[in-house]
Amino acid sequence: MKLSWLFGSSMEAHHLLWTYLSVWLIQGGYCAWTAWQWLHTPKSAGTDDPLASANGEDS
Amino acid sequence: MQRSRILGLVGIVWFLLTVGVLAQATRMGLLLAPTDALQGNVFRIIYYHVPHSMLSLLFPYVNLFASLFYLYWRQRDPLKALNADAWAISSAEVTVVYATICLWTGMLWGRVTWGIWWTWDKRLTSMLLLWLLYVSYLMLRKLSATGQTQTLAAVLSIFAGIDVPIVYMSIRWWRTQHPAPIFLSGDPDAKMDPSMLPAFLWNLAGWTMWGIFILVFRYVLERRRQARDEDAALLAIEASLEMAK
Repeated sequence: MKLSWLFGSSMEAHHLLWTYLSVWLIQGGYCAWTAWQWLHTPKSAGTDDPLASANGEDS
Repeated sequence: MQRSRILGLVGIVWFLLTVGVLAQATRMGLLLAPTDALQGNVFRIIYYHVPHSMLSLLFPYVNLFASLFYLYWRQRDPLKALNADAWAISSAEVTVVYATICLWTGMLWGRVTWGIWWTWDKRLTSMLLLWLLYVSYLMLRKLSATGQTQTLAAVLSIFAGIDVPIVYMSIRWWRTQHPAPIFLSGDPDAKMDPSMLPAFLWNLAGWTMWGIFILVFRYVLERRRQARDEDAALLAIEASLEMAK
């Protein structure tokens, strides 16, 4: 397929473009939200590794 | 080197590798795979729609097993139960993301090929039900104020888990508007053309790697939140003991 077809005015072209764009927007948006939350959640004072306490390996 | 730093490095390498695989997969899906003889270029939606649909039926099992482990451990070993609960909420969110994409891309494809956005077909309806179950799971986790929220959510996830095989089998049990399965199907005419298979497999690999990355990242975030809540609870206990002196 020639990439220029994707930017045509047909319904097929619009829906194919929307599919590929919206998937990246949804997945990228969720990843960005998780990263934002992770950066704004303070680390525990008790352990450096959030996984460690589950295994009884407080560092 | 600290364990958390090594894990962070592995995460960054995995992320970069995943983006590379997805870039190549998208290039193959849009530019290199042949145009479908019947549907034309709009058939290329399959390279994003089907991998997301397949994965939206796999992540609920992570949620189901994590919830079962939570129910088993909540009295016996609360630390292990918390760990299982972190996997449960992470996989529920990832399921909603993948199921949303499955429904949305299916609607975009259906509007072109069927002429309608939606039909109450058994595959579409059972998939919508799965999406609703996981959205209610997340709403319960977010809004419930009882001390039993995690237990109630774990029970709800068992009901959601029952819907997964119904969604999977719906196009095998009933005649539906949704096309017949292209994999693990007895019908040779329904199978994907071998020339399209590389683009499909690249996309399946890419979105699986992305799903694993985002699931683990969300799990690490949840563990950090749990540790923060634990600190806050300990501080509150220490403060109340000081006041009692």
